[in-house]
Amino acid sequence: MPAPASLAVLRARLHALQPQAGHGVLPFGDPRVDACLPEGGLALGALHEVGAAGIEAETGAVAAGFIACLLARLPGIKPLFWIAPACDLHAPGLLAYGLDPGRLVLVQTRDDAETLAAMEAVLREGAATAVVAEAGRLGRIASRRLQLACLKRGTTGFVLRRWPHGRTAAVQEATAAVTRWQVAPAPSTAAHREPGPPRWRVELAHARGGIEGAWIMQAGGSSDAAHPLRVVAELADAAPAPAVRPGRAG
Amino acid sequence: MPSWPTLRLRRQSAPAAPDKPLATVETQHGQRRLAAVCPRAAAMGLRVDMALAEARAICPELTVVEADPEADRAALAALAAWCERYTPLAAPDPPDGLFLDIAGCAHLFGTEAALAEDLSLRLQRNGLAHRIAVAGTAGAAWALARSATAGAPCTVLPAGAERQALAMLPVALLRLDARMVAGLRRVGLKRIGELARQPRAELSARFGPLPVLRLDQAYGAAEAAIAWPRPPAPWAERLAFAEPIGTPEDLSRALAELARRLCARLEAGQRGGHRFAASFLRVDGQRPAIAIATALPLHDAERIAKLLGEKLDTVAPGFGIDAMVLEAEETAPLRPPQAALADLGKPQDTELAAAIDQLANRLGSARLWRAAPHASHVPERTVRRLPPLAARPAWESDPAVERPIRLLRRPEPIEATALVPDDPPILFRWRGALHRVRAATGPERIAAEWWRRTPQEQRPETDLVRDYYRVEDNNGARFWIFRAGLEGMPRWFLHGLFG
Repeated sequence: MPAPASLAVLRARLHALQPQAGHGVLPFGDPRVDACLPEGGLALGALHEVGAAGIEAETGAVAAGFIACLLARLPGIKPLFWIAPACDLHAPGLLAYGLDPGRLVLVQTRDDAETLAAMEAVLREGAATAVVAEAGRLGRIASRRLQLACLKRGTTGFVLRRWPHGRTAAVQEATAAVTRWQVAPAPSTAAHREPGPPRWRVELAHARGGIEGAWIMQAGGSSDAAHPLRVVAELADAAPAPAVRPGRAG
Repeated sequence: MPSWPTLRLRRQSAPAAPDKPLATVETQHGQRRLAAVCPRAAAMGLRVDMALAEARAICPELTVVEADPEADRAALAALAAWCERYTPLAAPDPPDGLFLDIAGCAHLFGTEAALAEDLSLRLQRNGLAHRIAVAGTAGAAWALARSATAGAPCTVLPAGAERQALAMLPVALLRLDARMVAGLRRVGLKRIGELARQPRAELSARFGPLPVLRLDQAYGAAEAAIAWPRPPAPWAERLAFAEPIGTPEDLSRALAELARRLCARLEAGQRGGHRFAASFLRVDGQRPAIAIATALPLHDAERIAKLLGEKLDTVAPGFGIDAMVLEAEETAPLRPPQAALADLGKPQDTELAAAIDQLANRLGSARLWRAAPHASHVPERTVRRLPPLAARPAWESDPAVERPIRLLRRPEPIEATALVPDDPPILFRWRGALHRVRAATGPERIAAEWWRRTPQEQRPETDLVRDYYRVEDNNGARFWIFRAGLEGMPRWFLHGLFG
């Protein structure tokens, strides 16, 4: 074989081994959050994980709202897939977060394995702008496969970690997701015993190439905001100062 | 197969030793009579319709089994299915025959005689006594196969020789019933040749249309209708193997080849298939099958093979598979893709259809849907399911109406404490956890839809007037709870959760 050809083959292999170029980011529009994420925003074409604790790990209500806020801002006109074993996602409820339920294709599965397999199939076909899967168990291997599938077709994937009633897992397993978020409800600004716009305690528990952080965010509120999520407070207990963290991107 | 019921019994349950006579009996007009006799019993002088007592007198060691025409018919149908190794058109002909349409198939075995001999050999090996006749018409073949003059098990009639061959056979071999045969005999018509020489008009006037029709069918002048269990599908491809195959790799390779052939034909015909079925003809006569359905008409070999391949592991190859058939059960003309100017930026449907086909075939098509609004105030009826490839449903946002993001399938009863019956609760217990209410809005009254009234006693408690409250507990978690009913003690339910 002539030398240039084998060189080209080697180059192609090297190129394949290197991390692919990113598919862009979705900024939160607030420097306090975007500074924690590499390239200043939520990576598109990557796998993200959203979890919760306590009763929220069973109901997945805040996590679903958080994901809906992100989905509403995603660029792309392909449909969004929402794959879950429980079909309790209420489409009219998504309107409050600025997400048009008409964009969703809902899929009901029987168990976690089927959910993740279905998610991978949709990711590999490149049929969707984003895919959301509700699953409890997500192993390192399964998440790695999903992350690669996301990267290949530029589809953003969200895994909503949710457990059936009474079967919440205590152990936090390591996954290949680019970011891991931990969300919880936070008391809203109630006036005259009337609940205000919903507030969440959003914690960035892990970000590849970024740093951790925690904030109180308010969803909705002023509808003309650049992002449906607005940071109202930064939590002090979140993470050490960015400067002392090695390997920070940007 | 003149004694099919006894052959079946010997194969399926072996009620008697192979060298002992066997017969089935049925009750006719209160009398026990033989329904079928095995060749050995026939050789001892037993005949069908003989009284059982008489038969026992002739042959005391006769084994007698109750006749089961249903099982006989089922076994015959199974044998017909097995015969699809020779031709896709194989039909059972109860009570004891099979029709195979081997037009266009004989050359695969060399000649018609070679095909008949192959079939004969295989039947012989399985202990099925039989006679085979190959003729240009179904009627002639039927008569020849049952004519006692045929000595060898296989008779092959050269084309156009029906008239000669049938002339000397009795009229009963024209598939006429006993009464008609007796009537013909009474006027002296015993052989088919004699019948054929009679003026047709007079025959029809006296005996009805049947003798003339059967004559025409035997001579090829009229079409014989045979009920094929598998009507010939115009969009089918078949692959037969020299050696039975069984490994998953071989099966998927064969499947890909079949899909390629079928799709080439579909494409040439500008058609796409909606449903595809692959069936596997196993050496033991079983015929497992897998099927897929697609959302859009499809003639993409790769995708069809991929969708079918996902179900391949449900096919048990057994001792091997010697032929495979891929069939497009439903086809539709393909719309030529025409890009409208406004659609240029829109995503391609095909990627979405590919993903949806994969999921629908894996999970079932009822498990994929798009949510569309439905005009109803009852929360559980506000969403209607559309097929996933339907046009994007239009939702309108109404800021006055806030709905939860999670709606429980069934409202769950909660223990709630309210200061005043008309007030939202100050605390409630749901799934074992106590929630102290920090803020609440409401009530929003939603009444049952009176036009869907069901009898009072069948209506669940929650199907009455509901007063909904949006409440936030001390942690900030938000719930959608309601009080059911108007009078009596208020009953509280949790119906949904807000993010």
